[in-house]
Amino acid sequence: MSTPGPERVPSTVKVGKTSGQGKPPAGGSSSRSGASRPGAKKAAPGKGGKGKGRKPVTPVKVAGGRNWGPIAVAGVVVLIAVGIIGYGVFAAVKGGGSWEDRLNAIDGVVDYRAQKNAAIDARDHKDGTLQYVTSPPVGGAHNGVWQNCMGDVYTEPIANEHAVHSLEHGAVWVTYKPGLAAGQIDELKKKVEGQDYMFMSPYAGLDKNVSVQVWGYQLKTDDASDSRIDEFIKNARLNASMEPGAACSSGNTTTGPVTASAPGAGS
Amino acid sequence: MSVSTDPSSTVAAPASPGGDRRVGAWWLVAALVLGLALGVGGGLLIPRFTTPGDDSAEAGFLRDMSTHHAQAVEMSMIAHADSTDSRIVTLAGDIALTQHGQIGYMQAWLRDWGLSPTSSQEPMAWMPDSAGSVVNGLMPGMATPDQLTKLRAATGKDLNVQYLTLMRQHHLGGIHMAQEILKLSDHKDVTWLAQTMVTGQQSEINLIDQLLKSIQGT
Repeated sequence: MSTPGPERVPSTVKVGKTSGQGKPPAGGSSSRSGASRPGAKKAAPGKGGKGKGRKPVTPVKVAGGRNWGPIAVAGVVVLIAVGIIGYGVFAAVKGGGSWEDRLNAIDGVVDYRAQKNAAIDARDHKDGTLQYVTSPPVGGAHNGVWQNCMGDVYTEPIANEHAVHSLEHGAVWVTYKPGLAAGQIDELKKKVEGQDYMFMSPYAGLDKNVSVQVWGYQLKTDDASDSRIDEFIKNARLNASMEPGAACSSGNTTTGPVTASAPGAGS
Repeated sequence: MSVSTDPSSTVAAPASPGGDRRVGAWWLVAALVLGLALGVGGGLLIPRFTTPGDDSAEAGFLRDMSTHHAQAVEMSMIAHADSTDSRIVTLAGDIALTQHGQIGYMQAWLRDWGLSPTSSQEPMAWMPDSAGSVVNGLMPGMATPDQLTKLRAATGKDLNVQYLTLMRQHHLGGIHMAQEILKLSDHKDVTWLAQTMVTGQQSEINLIDQLLKSIQGT
């Protein structure tokens, strides 16, 4: 309270010089403001004497309209507000990308969901051997029993019909060309072991050494240590689920082609 | 401040009625717009600053505990389907449903926080001094693929004993992880769930011990 006082005094001198018109009403209003001041006097009783001299002066200065204190405060507030909003926009743009966007940003990923292919989008349960339009399949009708995908490492080929059901549950299926070097297979194994919603198996007739797929997305590469595989898994695992909350356990754990009568869950 | 602005309005009104009132109105509009902007900006940002980040211990715990829980569900579903002992069927069903439900909580929080359910970090990386606790990708207490294969093939008393033994080990590992996040975090939801895991699984271990004694005694 004490600092604005001294500041006001010089400013009133300036204002008084520039606009004389403000003076007549100032006298009238000063009595009003004086009446409303007892509270202020109590706060600083020592300055009561000065207060008397200031009374006619204070309103005159304000009529001049250059109240730099509030303007500076408002300016700072505006800067802070703009900064906060700007950061918010930045953060939203930077971190707000969907997993689909991040997946599609990976070089070489094929987005089969965008193709709206009825054979890939189909989700019916069908018994027996089924035909798929991609190799390995990335979606389509499938067996009622899913392949167990609790980080299972299958060393023999598994049935497409079960594997596609696991993709529907949000699992990443890692497939590799039979006969791939043991070191490369171990590299893939590390990404799968102990991780639910992951499973891997050799896949006959693969056109590249490695293919990783979730429901509707696929990435093929010749190098098992290709960092794009990790990027693919990080963004697609679970996110790609068509049935959030569906489990990877209680699935088929056998290898080989689908049997005529579907094996029981967990067997 | 109020002292100087009050007189300004009383002075301005008689001096130039239109002009200064308009200035006052602009200040009011500016103040309202600013207040609105700050409110909206703060509302948008504060949740971002206050929810755990991608590398946080909380996120690591939720991801790893989801995987850890999933194996408990897997083993329990095997016992639930194949055991002929009603006490085992009940316990296994209880564990499977509870832990699958808790996976739902944990996954939903990650989603709420705008985080992926999967990270590029190694399992257990959120836990200090966790090096060596992960063997072949398996977190503490988790059964190996061989143990699961044996469990699937087991029947009768053998199945019950194997299930109870594996589940006991699994719970001990889970309690250890939950206790670690209780030390590391003060996030109210995460610590609430972790605390229920510690107490719930501890009491289940007591039950498992009783069942093991009863089954192995026969």
